[in-house]
Amino acid sequence: MTLFKQLLGNKKALVGLTILVAIILIAIFAPLLTEYSPTRRVGRPHQPPSWDHWLGTTRLGHDVFSRLVHGARVSLAVGFGAGLMITIVGTVLGIIAGYKGGVVDEVINFFTNMVLVVPNLPLLLVIAAFVGQAGPVVIALILGFTSWAWGVRVTRSETLSIRQRDYVKSAEMLGEPSWRIMALEIFPNLISIVGINFIGSVIFAVIAEATLGFLGLGDPNTVSWGIMLFNAQNASALSVGAWWDLLSPCFALALLGLGLALLNFAIDEVANPRLRTGGMLKSWSRMVLLGEGKL
Amino acid sequence: MGVRATMSGLPHPLPSSPVKGEVPPGEPGKIVPEPAERKEHKNMAFLLRRLAFYLAAFLAAATVNFFLPRLMPGDPIQIMFASAGSELSLENLNALKLTFGFIDAPLHEQYFAYIKSVFTGDLGRSIKYFPLPVTELLGRALVWTLGLVGIATLISFAVGTILGVMAAWRRGTLFDSAVSLVAIFSSSVPAIVVSLILLFVFGYTLRWFPNGYAANPLLDPGFNWTYISSVLYHGTLPMLTLVIVLTGGFAVTMRNNMINLLGEDYIVMGRAKGLADNRVMLFYAARNALLPTVSSLAIAMGTVLGGSLIVEVVFNYPGLGNTLYQAILARDYPVIQGQLLIMTGAMLVSNFVVDLSYVLLDPRLKKA
Amino acid sequence: MSAPVLSIRNLNIDYIGAEANFRAVKDVSFDIAPGEFFGLAGESGCGKSTIAFAVSRLHRPPALIRTGSEILVDGRDVLELDKDALRRFRWREVAMVFQSAMNSLNPVLTIEAQFYDVLHTHKGMSREAARERAAELLKLVDIPPDRLAAYPHQCSGGMRQRIVIAICLALNPKLLIMDEPTTALDVVVQREILQRIDVLRKRLGFAVLFITHDLGLMVQVSDRIGIMLEGELVEVNDAQTIYRSPQHDYTKRLWASMPKLHGDQIRPEAGA
Repeated sequence: MTLFKQLLGNKKALVGLTILVAIILIAIFAPLLTEYSPTRRVGRPHQPPSWDHWLGTTRLGHDVFSRLVHGARVSLAVGFGAGLMITIVGTVLGIIAGYKGGVVDEVINFFTNMVLVVPNLPLLLVIAAFVGQAGPVVIALILGFTSWAWGVRVTRSETLSIRQRDYVKSAEMLGEPSWRIMALEIFPNLISIVGINFIGSVIFAVIAEATLGFLGLGDPNTVSWGIMLFNAQNASALSVGAWWDLLSPCFALALLGLGLALLNFAIDEVANPRLRTGGMLKSWSRMVLLGEGKL
Repeated sequence: MGVRATMSGLPHPLPSSPVKGEVPPGEPGKIVPEPAERKEHKNMAFLLRRLAFYLAAFLAAATVNFFLPRLMPGDPIQIMFASAGSELSLENLNALKLTFGFIDAPLHEQYFAYIKSVFTGDLGRSIKYFPLPVTELLGRALVWTLGLVGIATLISFAVGTILGVMAAWRRGTLFDSAVSLVAIFSSSVPAIVVSLILLFVFGYTLRWFPNGYAANPLLDPGFNWTYISSVLYHGTLPMLTLVIVLTGGFAVTMRNNMINLLGEDYIVMGRAKGLADNRVMLFYAARNALLPTVSSLAIAMGTVLGGSLIVEVVFNYPGLGNTLYQAILARDYPVIQGQLLIMTGAMLVSNFVVDLSYVLLDPRLKKA
Repeated sequence: MSAPVLSIRNLNIDYIGAEANFRAVKDVSFDIAPGEFFGLAGESGCGKSTIAFAVSRLHRPPALIRTGSEILVDGRDVLELDKDALRRFRWREVAMVFQSAMNSLNPVLTIEAQFYDVLHTHKGMSREAARERAAELLKLVDIPPDRLAAYPHQCSGGMRQRIVIAICLALNPKLLIMDEPTTALDVVVQREILQRIDVLRKRLGFAVLFITHDLGLMVQVSDRIGIMLEGELVEVNDAQTIYRSPQHDYTKRLWASMPKLHGDQIRPEAGA
């Protein structure tokens, strides 16, 4: 768990984690945070933010704050659910391709590269359009089905280099079955790659849910950030001046994206010491300034 | 390398570890001596292999199109053309059925019928704008999208790469931290959010820029300054959105690629040779770090196209994204399917351009 | 001994860490006379490469050359040079061959461009003049001038190593630093290259600072040898003395661990 410990010492990771935990807590305790139901008419349409309605109301008189905190549940669930699926598929296929090599590798690699050159969003849209108004579960499934390729690529390339290490070679000599080698020798060394893949996939899935919702491909009866965007856009929120209706989910998305991205950058820094510009450079510059030495 | 494609149109610049053993051509610093006689054919073979691969990828996209309606519960013909209601004459409906492979024959013959239509350039007709052919509808839109995407990509690639080079070279300084911070912001905020905020601030509140259309609709399109300036004016916000969303990713990718190279002997030797700092930075470090960055550009293209879809919808810009949006609202399936093929085609062409530039940039792939 | 070409005095170099600093070079002093072949030996991580990098001031943060250190080249303190003077000093007075032959040429520039770089920056030569000079230099290391148009990947490892040496000689430096230059090459090529350096040294009169952990090789080629242990220079003497009657414990142990397979010194009538 050294990776985890190192992360706790990283400023970016701490900020990112704080944002993420806050949003998750808000989602979990959503019903306690607001007296209003997210799906009932609780006020006059398009009321600006006030003491009664912190973030105003929608055109249908729904409370925006209530929809926002309840919507966090769906957005996070889709994000983490799809993110998990994408990561599992990507990691399993990547390790198998990288470790087994040969025909298995060629086949997996071929399909991976093929999926990578088919633009992802247009593909998602076509599938979602045929499915009709997709609920959160269906959206998560579609995302998991179409977005694993990047994970396979990085996992595979990392596996290729780990495969050459001594401990893998010696496990092979000892006659360990290959699934054991893949699960116990290779996987633990891929933790940072898997972590980056997972968080990147969650970001991707959250944004994808919002985008599909915004484009009218989501189920309008669910409460999610994407559907909020869709409703606000349909209500011409900006042109009638009801900015709170549209900008609230925008900022929520931006904040969640930022928190996850900070976490991801932090993992990358911890996993690649060369990228770190930590305390040593600071004390180095100080010593140069004090005239204690030079390059 | 390592670019996470996210839908915000941003290449997620992680992880920084180079991707080994992948299809896009070689890695920096890895030198594989080649027998001279093979080099002559190497580039041609490389490019032909890529072309064959792209053909297969295009076929895959078409296959998705073919199977989707057939996999859905219910009658695929009903699904595909339901939105037309009873407006379609039997004759027209039959023509459309033929195009999409709905013939009285086994599945594989249906498949070949559809693939044949696709490769002969017949993508069917729009149901909403019947009898406008899908190719024509999308072709008109494509021009705007390509212009938007092309210019935005060039600007953000250039700016991002330069920022990344300078940040890596001044690693650990305030400038480096500032670039990293801006890059995190830029690459974590989705295109949909950036475009809506820009629209709100500059379109609705300050009223500096128009809220929609590619040009003033009252003007006649033509090659004159009035029209062109109107196009530029209307394109500013969509372009700005894409540039904001893309630049950070390119900057971090370039920065990380370059930092990974800074310890290489040839860069230290460049400094030891007493060359000017800028010469070492540009021709020794950046020039080599550019190679993996360019290959990450190929993957980023998909996300750039995706980002432009959103931006066009938000700014009501008459490109592919907006056309697709209208088609989705009208459940105009031939257009929705055609859009996937056109987008895939655009993606493959830009990938091929990246391949070509790679051959030009990397002497290890050039003819002896 | 005439005035030394390189004189290192009380050199201290730290690697600055977030919590503690690591002293890689501890109070090292030694001289190299003009035309001398000086060997610096020690196991990896003992600080010998750190010294080599310091002479041309090639270090990057977090390395720090502590105040009070002196690196005199031809009587001038390198550590006092400003940015421009340092740039002019590099390669003109001290040239360097780096560890990996495979990797010290820029893979995206032709050999000619990498000669031109040096000749243009330091001497303001035109492309034509630089090409002529480069061809001459390549001849010194037995490489036909048509290789100038080639890229590094089109040359073999040994050839690349010789090209680097030719580039090193472009400005007639007073000192050539070789930082484990032959580790990546096979034994025959290794020997051949060192012999060639020796011949060129005698002809052109530059001194050599040769860094290696291959003691056998070092004893054969060096005039004098310094032995390093954990950042300290524990013993300096001429090659034969240090070989036959080592003073320091560590040196004795080093010799003991060295396989006695090598023949006589290749130096006397070395080369062709």
